[in-house]
Amino acid sequence: MSDEENFEIFDTCSNPNGHGHDYAIQVKLNGEIDPESGMIYSLQDLDNIMNPVIEELDHKRLDIEISYFENEQPTGENIAKYIWNKIKPSLNSKLIHLKLSETSRSYFECYEEDNYPYER
Amino acid sequence: MGFKKLLTKKMEFSASHRYWNEGWSEEKNISVFGKSAGPHGHGHNYNLEVTVEGEVDAETGMIINLYELKSVMSEVLLDFDHKHLNEDNPHFKDIVPTTENIARVLWDLLEEKLVDNPKCSLYRVRLYETQDLYVDYWRK
Repeated sequence: MSDEENFEIFDTCSNPNGHGHDYAIQVKLNGEIDPESGMIYSLQDLDNIMNPVIEELDHKRLDIEISYFENEQPTGENIAKYIWNKIKPSLNSKLIHLKLSETSRSYFECYEEDNYPYER
Repeated sequence: MGFKKLLTKKMEFSASHRYWNEGWSEEKNISVFGKSAGPHGHGHNYNLEVTVEGEVDAETGMIINLYELKSVMSEVLLDFDHKHLNEDNPHFKDIVPTTENIARVLWDLLEEKLVDNPKCSLYRVRLYETQDLYVDYWRK
């Protein structure tokens, strides 16, 4: 796309030097409570899965430093999908919902329709 | 199997309203609506959350451009922000501007503006009247 088209579609987000956000990720896990541990999932294990993904993205210029975003726009939608794909193999069907907040006023969600127990 | 992708944007507006049904006696209005029936109305800082669903466009990486959604929401809210809904907003001439009804009216107005966008559709309107109270509205 031309500079004009980029600016028309992405507006201030197309600023050549980028811009930052304080992103927040929220994941929802669903499952049976293990009778021995009393937990659906160990929060420590969850940290161990989430932290490397966050570590990779934190304080980075996503479109330059993360190779995945060389070909994909680092929009909230695509970052959410990226994180989902990274953590899904470890969490399997227990992972039912991911929410990525970009600001306090906008956020993105993704989930698989047939593995989500709530209507909306 | 569908993979759902949702985008939500929040916006605040301030408005006043009065709960009053013209077809009822004063006693009935006061007994049903209590303090909300006060003759001069009262105000809230409403928080509107609009959720859309759609496919992520391969070129832009977006479900909908947030600037577009922001301008749609801002336009719709022109008749709500800093207005007395019973007096200033024609949609509440004959219905009580409860949170439920405001959410429904907002759904209709937002859907009307988003219908031209083939890439996404309105998924849910969530309207907070206060921090402790919100209404969810959606239509299949």
